[in-house]
Amino acid sequence: MADFTAEVYQNEFLPDGGTDVHAIVTVTCTGAGAAGQAGEGDAAEIVIVDTSGSMGEVNIRAAQQAAAAAIDQIIDGTWFAVIAGTHEARMAFPAGRSELGMVQMDSAGRAAAKGAVSRFRADGGTAMGTWLTMAARVFNTVPSLVQKHAILLTDGENQHETPQQLTAAIEAAKGKFQCDCRGVGSEWQVAEVRRIAQALMGSVDIIPTGAQMAAVFESLIRKSMGRGVASATLRVWAPQGAQVSFVRQVAPTVEDLTSRRQEVNALTGGYPTGSWGDESRDYHVAIRLAAKGIGQEQLAARVQLAIGDTVVAQGLVKAMWSSDDTLTTRINPEVAHYTGQTELADAIQEGLAAKALGDDATATAKLGRAVQLAAETGNDEATAKLKKVVDIDDPNAGTVRLRRGVAKLDEMALDTASTKTTRVKK
Amino acid sequence: MTACPTCQEAVGASEQFCEACGAGLSPTAVAPEPPAEQSTLETPVPGDLGGTAPTCQACGGEVSSDGYCGTCGARAPRLRDHFTEQPAPWVGAVSDRGIRHTRNEDAVALAADPGPGSRAVLVVCDGVSSSVDSDVASLAAARAARDVLGSSRSRGMGTPSSLVAAVIARLEAATDAASEAVLEVSRTPKGIAAVGNPAVANRTPGNPASCTFVAAVVELDLLVVGSVGDSRAYWLPDAGSATALTLDDSFAQEQITAGVPRAEAESGPHAHAITRWLGIDAPDHAPTTAFMTITEPGWLMVCSDGLWNYCSAAQDLAALVQQTVSTSPAVAEPLALAGALVDWANAQGGQDNITVALARIDPIPPREEARRDG
Repeated sequence: MADFTAEVYQNEFLPDGGTDVHAIVTVTCTGAGAAGQAGEGDAAEIVIVDTSGSMGEVNIRAAQQAAAAAIDQIIDGTWFAVIAGTHEARMAFPAGRSELGMVQMDSAGRAAAKGAVSRFRADGGTAMGTWLTMAARVFNTVPSLVQKHAILLTDGENQHETPQQLTAAIEAAKGKFQCDCRGVGSEWQVAEVRRIAQALMGSVDIIPTGAQMAAVFESLIRKSMGRGVASATLRVWAPQGAQVSFVRQVAPTVEDLTSRRQEVNALTGGYPTGSWGDESRDYHVAIRLAAKGIGQEQLAARVQLAIGDTVVAQGLVKAMWSSDDTLTTRINPEVAHYTGQTELADAIQEGLAAKALGDDATATAKLGRAVQLAAETGNDEATAKLKKVVDIDDPNAGTVRLRRGVAKLDEMALDTASTKTTRVKK
Repeated sequence: MTACPTCQEAVGASEQFCEACGAGLSPTAVAPEPPAEQSTLETPVPGDLGGTAPTCQACGGEVSSDGYCGTCGARAPRLRDHFTEQPAPWVGAVSDRGIRHTRNEDAVALAADPGPGSRAVLVVCDGVSSSVDSDVASLAAARAARDVLGSSRSRGMGTPSSLVAAVIARLEAATDAASEAVLEVSRTPKGIAAVGNPAVANRTPGNPASCTFVAAVVELDLLVVGSVGDSRAYWLPDAGSATALTLDDSFAQEQITAGVPRAEAESGPHAHAITRWLGIDAPDHAPTTAFMTITEPGWLMVCSDGLWNYCSAAQDLAALVQQTVSTSPAVAEPLALAGALVDWANAQGGQDNITVALARIDPIPPREEARRDG
């Protein structure tokens, strides 16, 4: 059985009249075990591969190898399927054009699936919404599933659907399965694919060339198979009359969970967090309270991790009103760090969006701020990727110049990495 | 029978003072041992003060197991933060965290016979806040001393002087028991303080638990007190002059003895530094004792500095009690009056834990025949 712990980092002291409480809650899972092994239901994997014409000979061969590598990582007993995506979705495995279904992995199934993916051919367009819709239906054919995960690979824009159609498909798939998304090359839209990944509680990243695809698939599936806790919910209790200003995951990546709130009871909201392996995730919780008198203490939030209806870890966020300035003005390093990292993600994305629209002034200001924040918070990966897009005159002041002739891949790499955070140096 | 060398009145061979003129005597015989007393005074069942109230004081919601209200989030007061004792209607006490401190390191323990003004034991201990687990230590000390003092009584003791000596001996034994209880806490830190108390996590061996001690024993018209540290006992008669029965073991008191005015000494920089206490690092813990005969109705008060910081002089305290009692007949009962005085101290700022124990002596109990006859 997995063990969860919760640790709270905050400055609980508020000045006279103070209302806003911020805390970082680190939730750590150990002993998660392997997916589908807890005896409470089965795990399933679907590999969705873009087989549109734009993939071409080279990328299709890479995708065949990558899908095979993924299949090798799927544990025996896990239900699985492969979908080939174009302007429509097609069951590549188990074979049969009209029937949807999944099979449980064993050596025969593994060999048959590898045979199926070796017959991928590049042909047709791109309609990712139809791929997601089919994946949801395929998962739905197996009633015993408690943990459903997919990886989606694309190489291009979603040309054969309207954005509204994609939105509808994403909304319908939300909560049905988790999906890690990867784009190969530089012809796909980061914002479009990020939209899918965020809604389906997965990651988004770039695979610069087809040659790197197999390693990425292998690692994604291995990670998914290591998530022995099928599903958990972050619960935030706040006192009557208080407001939960926001709930964000801030590590390993920034994800705003605020809008995912589902009511548990009048004072408690539940935020789905998907499946868990042996890992730590940090959450930034902000609560607005009615101010109390100097010397009074109260609980601002109970932050819990729940599996089903069972609370497995709890951290207490407190508020204490004090007239002592040395206490109330103290800035909690964890809160400051992740506030900076969240702003960094926004600055990068807004800077790149402005640059794409030709608004060089905004792009320079935003990316300059990003350089400054990356330096302040010690995010070396962001700094390295920013350097490929801007020339840095002064990292501390955030003075930068936009570079000319930036490779599109470098901009996309910066964009996809924008939500990755570094942890506080302890 | 021999005669008093001062007034020639007949005196007993074992008496230390002349019954008629009060002159000191040289006893020629040892006072008879008091007869073994089997009965004990009424003592409240020791409550477990480790938890919190089940219902939120702020909103009436249910308190969660984490110690905070499940509805409004208010921290539920620990039972230890505010508790009362009342072994008989004429004896009552309130111990309160105050406003400034985060926990109540004061403690009180009482015992009494049902008859008003008959027999009572009042013990107050004030945990030294710089030491760890002092809230555990002070409660253990107060209860240990109360148990010693409440487990026997000195009825039919022969002469008044031998009665005083016997009660003082019991007070010394009670102080020994209180001291041992504090030492025991230092050896094995207990749970009450450990819940959510960072001081426990940062336990330092150089800071063992310690507390003050004051006990008052009412034996009909005899009142005996003993103290270590700066918790106090006062006799506050309804008429006549009020008296502080104890002398603080404190830096402030040393200054007062040296001639510094009380108000100045008690507001000085080290006024609250005590020079004697109970604890593993205490040089000695013999109580300083005193006794008096009660001749008129009044209040016996035993309290911690959380009260007397705001009202130190005996006559001022007597005036405060009179004024408080006059506000309502309901406040004229010991428990209610103790509560009202705690509220008053909180209204003055509640800078320290506040404990007030009171015994109402009215009417004056008759002198016991056995004592008079010798």
